[in-house]
Amino acid sequence: MIVFASALTFFFVNLAPGGPASIMRFDVSPEQREALIRLMGLDRPVPQRYIEWLAGALHGDLGTSLLTNEPVTGRIADRLPNTLTLAGSALLISIVLGIPIGVVQAVRRGKPIDHLLSLVSAIGLSVPVFWLGIVLILVFAVSLHVLPSAGVTSVSSDTFGDRLAHLVLPAIALATTILPTVARFTRSSMIEVLHEDYVRTATSKGLRPRTVMMRHALRNALIPVVSAIGALVPRLIGGTVVTEAVFGWPGMGRLALEAAQGRDYPLVTGLTVVVAAIAVVATLLVDLAYTRIDPRLRLA
Amino acid sequence: MLFQVRHPFAIPALVIVGALLVSACTGAAQPGSSTSPSAQGAPVAGGTVTIPIGADPTLNPWSPNAFVESLFINRAIFEGLTKPGKDLAPAPDLAESWNTAADGLSWTFKLRSGVKWSDGNAFSADDVAFTFNDIVLKPDLGAQNRASYAAVKSVTVVDPNTVRFDLSRKFAALPSFLAYNSGILPKHILSSNPLTTASFNKGVPVSTGPFKVEKYTSGQSVSLVRNDNYFGPKPYLEKVVFTVVPDPNTQIAQALAGDVTIMILDNKAAVDRVKTANGLAVVSRPLVQYYWLALNQTDTRFTDVRVRQAFVHAIDRQAIIKSVESGYGSIANSPITPALAAYYDPSLASKYPYDQAKAKDLLAQAGWTPGPDGVLQKNGQPFKFTMDVGQRGVLEPVNALIQQDLKKVGVIAELNTMEWNAYIQKDVVRREYTATVNWWTYPSDPDVFPYYHSSAAGKGFNIPGYQDPKLDDLLVQGQSASDLDARKAVYKQLQAYTSETLPYLFLWYPQEIDVISTSLNGVPELGLRDAMHYLGEWWLAKK
Amino acid sequence: MNRLGFAALIVLATVAAFAVAGPVLWTIPPEATDAIHGLAGPSSVHPLGTDELGRDMLSRLLHGSRVTLLVGLAAMLAAIVIGVLVGAVAGFKGGWIDGALMRFTDAMLAVPAFFFILVVITVLGTGVGTLILVIGALSWMPVARVVYGETLRWKTAEFVVAAESLGVAGPRLLLRHILPQAIPSLIVSATLGVAFAILTESALSYLGLGVQPPLPSWGNMLQRAQLYVFTAPALAIYPGLAITIVVLAFNFLGDGLRDALDPRRRR
Repeated sequence: MIVFASALTFFFVNLAPGGPASIMRFDVSPEQREALIRLMGLDRPVPQRYIEWLAGALHGDLGTSLLTNEPVTGRIADRLPNTLTLAGSALLISIVLGIPIGVVQAVRRGKPIDHLLSLVSAIGLSVPVFWLGIVLILVFAVSLHVLPSAGVTSVSSDTFGDRLAHLVLPAIALATTILPTVARFTRSSMIEVLHEDYVRTATSKGLRPRTVMMRHALRNALIPVVSAIGALVPRLIGGTVVTEAVFGWPGMGRLALEAAQGRDYPLVTGLTVVVAAIAVVATLLVDLAYTRIDPRLRLA
Repeated sequence: MLFQVRHPFAIPALVIVGALLVSACTGAAQPGSSTSPSAQGAPVAGGTVTIPIGADPTLNPWSPNAFVESLFINRAIFEGLTKPGKDLAPAPDLAESWNTAADGLSWTFKLRSGVKWSDGNAFSADDVAFTFNDIVLKPDLGAQNRASYAAVKSVTVVDPNTVRFDLSRKFAALPSFLAYNSGILPKHILSSNPLTTASFNKGVPVSTGPFKVEKYTSGQSVSLVRNDNYFGPKPYLEKVVFTVVPDPNTQIAQALAGDVTIMILDNKAAVDRVKTANGLAVVSRPLVQYYWLALNQTDTRFTDVRVRQAFVHAIDRQAIIKSVESGYGSIANSPITPALAAYYDPSLASKYPYDQAKAKDLLAQAGWTPGPDGVLQKNGQPFKFTMDVGQRGVLEPVNALIQQDLKKVGVIAELNTMEWNAYIQKDVVRREYTATVNWWTYPSDPDVFPYYHSSAAGKGFNIPGYQDPKLDDLLVQGQSASDLDARKAVYKQLQAYTSETLPYLFLWYPQEIDVISTSLNGVPELGLRDAMHYLGEWWLAKK
Repeated sequence: MNRLGFAALIVLATVAAFAVAGPVLWTIPPEATDAIHGLAGPSSVHPLGTDELGRDMLSRLLHGSRVTLLVGLAAMLAAIVIGVLVGAVAGFKGGWIDGALMRFTDAMLAVPAFFFILVVITVLGTGVGTLILVIGALSWMPVARVVYGETLRWKTAEFVVAAESLGVAGPRLLLRHILPQAIPSLIVSATLGVAFAILTESALSYLGLGVQPPLPSWGNMLQRAQLYVFTAPALAIYPGLAITIVVLAFNFLGDGLRDALDPRRRR
């Protein structure tokens, strides 16, 4: 499947109008342009270039970036940890905040707090991420001076705390794309579970409500939530493109944008392969988490 | 406050965007005014300067992948034979002096002695010969900027401290061109692979300037430290850090938060906000750059000079400068910019006032008369065409303004906005366009041969494809004139002639807005990218 | 339907009325510039003020609403068409077709769509039609799943089997008997789909890949307005608010409809 995706991307991106940024400049003369096309090997047919690329890719070599002459694997390896940190933190925020919010809403169903939280999450889901990002920068970086506005670290003080401070705003902005959904799923799943017979039985047996909540209800309520989170991961990764652009976050999303705009064919293809691979791995991880939470699946 | 709430539904918005308002209080400063940081006594050593750039740079002035964001660092670390003087005339850099042969067909440069590369190896004439003979003049490498050296046949090492440029035709502007993105590269490092060595271009290159690269972190920053092998006086600054910040608003946010020492304000709309910030000064600098509207000369409607003149009268260029440049710019009527003070002819500035009646009149003389719907027509054909808009900088709003201005005189221009890369291919490579707006930036010399000569029509930098023997003649005369007075005379004629014939429709000369921390001193009054040649003279006042 | 859903419906009806009638009643053209009077505050001539080129903000918002809603609705329709086709065929035909189609659907669901939108738009350019198709082509999967489920559920129902035994052909059976059962769920998906499409267009606009000027869309208005957040935030507030309100309304409407149409959720 990944090979298929790479072929599709490679042929497709070669169809794009324009060409690598180095030849699509205003101040490049026609003879320079021809020399560069020859140097980059772009005068050869696309299928031949793809087969060569694939041969390398099967040995872990995703080719050489046309924009920087660096290996594509290296460029991606530079950026991948940043994207994973950002997406991972956003996911963490969404789980750590989203699930309790959903539980509170379920328990206090129909009360003002439930309505308020529903409204806030609905707004969170409806605000364009980049707009929220800009507002966050204006509030916390420009007006209040409490958090840095961009980048992963200050050049002068590259400490853990400094990196954490840089992570806060982009992670929050990105989390808004999935947190409301997590909360919503938890709420409805929890409501459903609270109506189940065994919860009522447990309650009527006189177990403390807190124990019932934690031991019985939440555990079962989480099963559909986990699968919902799994389905949200692709959206989260897609969301990094815009978030990284707003916060100058040096991750894969920004790289993808540069690669697409600069027609860096090997880099675009390499990114596609890596992103597809991440999607596959993420799906597997969710399946794994699923089996751990749901004992019935462990038998199967 | 610029924003006032009149509508009840807007109230909830304020909860979300309250911060926007906090930062919206602006002073009503006059555009065009500039405040300079005051001198703060004698220079002191130490300190770090932080400068934001838009993307990862390529640390090699001749690499075709060295885009505009690379210029800052390349001009700071690599030195050319000459550099732009503080008056933009060529000043000594790696060369101490130069002169041209009596026939004008060669230039000889005397190099500075005792210069070392940052790795300790000696610099010599061989490096200069290598840079030109083995990089720039090699057609297969496609080196950036090589078109500027079309007249150079080869570079000969006369002795270890002397090089001679042999020319195929006279080239009076050579010393100026050598000051423009023409840094000399180390032969001992790059002889096998001069333009695509990633450990150099994207790592730690070997250079001769006062600073050298300490560390390159992709997507984040490039830091420079003093080059202990530098031949000149020890620079004051301890360190210079270039941070990669793609979003211009984020750059501004960082400046407002005090995280930036100096930067180019790409988003000129924010200038009033920046002016109110404590500890920041805003200055304007002239640029060797002009915006133009190219009308494809293969379209017979545009070969009539009256049509071109009418368009210039029809376009409210002052309004463009006001709205897209926040007032930082002046009206252009020739390719020679005010930054080239020795050559610029200010008397042409008022040649084409904004005058719709005059425009209609000229168009009528050219046979274009209003049809029933108000649209001009000739032989039953309406005056309609498409303008391609490249998606970059201010081009989109400028085109929107021009479209409306032309509409007022009965000319219909449809806008076709395109992604930059695709736009270049269509309009520049293939020349499949009717009209388009863009800009030229060129070396600090009035030799504009490549952009106007008929030999470049249809394929080179002569975008409109305008061909005119008289203009060709002036361009060649300019390259041949040896002394300054003779050149001035030729280029005065050239300005008058181009402003009359309008090979391109000249729009405006932009100015650069620089935001400078008030503690930073010693920055010459040049565009920031040019000021990078003087990084060794910058210093930070102690707080 | 709950009160919130009903309120959302009213909001959307109002926005739709503005989009349809607004540009007819408010006749200042959205592209008419007046650069000398740029960034003006609200006045009787320009109730919402002007943008940086002196263009009337109200007119641009009204015309932008047409473009934005068109992209949202059309992309949703494209997603529905693809999704129904895939889901119904897979559910109805079964066998290897089912396996292949649903596996493809799952694969598409696992893919971070935005990365691919970038590439596809770079290749195909940024026309309104392209945008609609691309957003549609990357958001049909939930629809396919829903339709697939409904098709499986109803294909063995008595009335369907009865119709089949009477000689009703496959496609007709699907269209007449099975798909109508899926309509409630489809309406819910469609409503949420519009919200998604509008947000996607605005995000693409931020990256310069959305609807291209001079055609105004809320997304590209917001993108231009960014340059003025420090000096004229009103330019960003109006389109940002418009997007948020409409997307919010579509989300609430979707929820309301789900509660109203899905008996399992009605408690």
